[in-house]
Amino acid sequence: MALGELERAVMAQLWSAEEPLTVRDVHDRLERELAYTTVMTVLGRLAKKGLVRQERDGKAYRYAAASSREQMAAELMLDALGDVGEDRTAALVAFVDRVGPEEAATLRRALDTPAHGTPRPAGGSPES
Amino acid sequence: MASVWLTGLALVLAGPVPALLARARWTRSVPRAAIVLWQSVAVAAVLAAVGSALAAPEALLRVFLHPEERTGIALAIAVGAAAVLAGLIVVRLVVVLVLLAVRTRVRRARHRDMIDLLARAEEFDAGGTLRAGIVLRVLDGAVPFAYCVPGRVGREGRVVVTGAALETLCPRELRAVIAHEQAHLAARHDLVREGFTALHRAFPVVVRSREARDAVALLLEMLADDAGRRRVGDDAMAGALDAFASSGRAGYGSDVVERLDRIRACVHGGRALAVGTYLAAVALVVVPTVTIVIPWLTDALPTVGVR
Repeated sequence: MALGELERAVMAQLWSAEEPLTVRDVHDRLERELAYTTVMTVLGRLAKKGLVRQERDGKAYRYAAASSREQMAAELMLDALGDVGEDRTAALVAFVDRVGPEEAATLRRALDTPAHGTPRPAGGSPES
Repeated sequence: MASVWLTGLALVLAGPVPALLARARWTRSVPRAAIVLWQSVAVAAVLAAVGSALAAPEALLRVFLHPEERTGIALAIAVGAAAVLAGLIVVRLVVVLVLLAVRTRVRRARHRDMIDLLARAEEFDAGGTLRAGIVLRVLDGAVPFAYCVPGRVGREGRVVVTGAALETLCPRELRAVIAHEQAHLAARHDLVREGFTALHRAFPVVVRSREARDAVALLLEMLADDAGRRRVGDDAMAGALDAFASSGRAGYGSDVVERLDRIRACVHGGRALAVGTYLAAVALVVVPTVTIVIPWLTDALPTVGVR
């Protein structure tokens, strides 16, 4: 199996889990013929990239996604759409530069959403 | 005299020339040559500024002191001042360039990691239009959007389109967009942009570096548009631009309008204009070097004891 696909499968398990998982948990949930050490390596790689959070739990490490899938998607789009004006770094080149203030605001709101649960109500009053 | 000429040249290349070139309309018919001319203006401006910084103290020495006094401490101060002035320009540019390059690559690496995790699992069939070394990624997203992320040297670059873009574009338009992005990646347009972004960051005021950066960015888009037009056709390229610009609340930016106008007017560059532009670009760097710098060096170096 390609490494990229394996990383995606591991991330999918972390995203769907309610709580941080151990390497053993991830390994069992994957339901594939994989070596334990392979899963450990992949989790280590993802942690090094900053995509996965590593927590010590007694003797073992537990792993959780650094941000929810939706947050990461929003961060990605904001990074892509936001490469305009003075922030421009030529990190990527958009086909059409287009970030309306409203679009950016929507994406930023999505980024503020906690990893698990409902969006934080803005200033105590829920938006209609 | 050399310092006066170099200072004048630096001022002209940093102010009026970029202002005029940014407003020029002819550049859009020869985008590649025009980009080379912009690069040449930038290089010549920096060289002239460094040259005038080097030459100015020596010129002041000549004005205020008799030939027999131009020795010892006075000479040492002049040489030191020249080195510091020129060094300030060069060091500033290099530091900004390195910092920007590092930040850009860190940001890209993170962006690529996230794309690879979030992209739709099923492979999208681009109809065999992708070159080797380029990967197409489809992201779920309600905003029609397409962009490219250069890979590390020797590694795969990513062309990214959103699901909304796939729904908005017809197959030919999609191929035109992909051809456009591939042109950016294959010709490393990001490096050109990075250079002008660094120039603007290093010298943001007084000089017309913002105009230069924005004009070059637009010319690079036009150059990539031409790749899409050649590969798929004018109508598909214009249709794709139209579809993207009209779908967003941001609407048509002036850049998009210019690109659309250009495609619809079937602007194609004349060979003579392109050759003339390339020659001007070469002359801009070579002529000042031969006519000002070399005579000045042969004149000034013996003063400092270099023979």
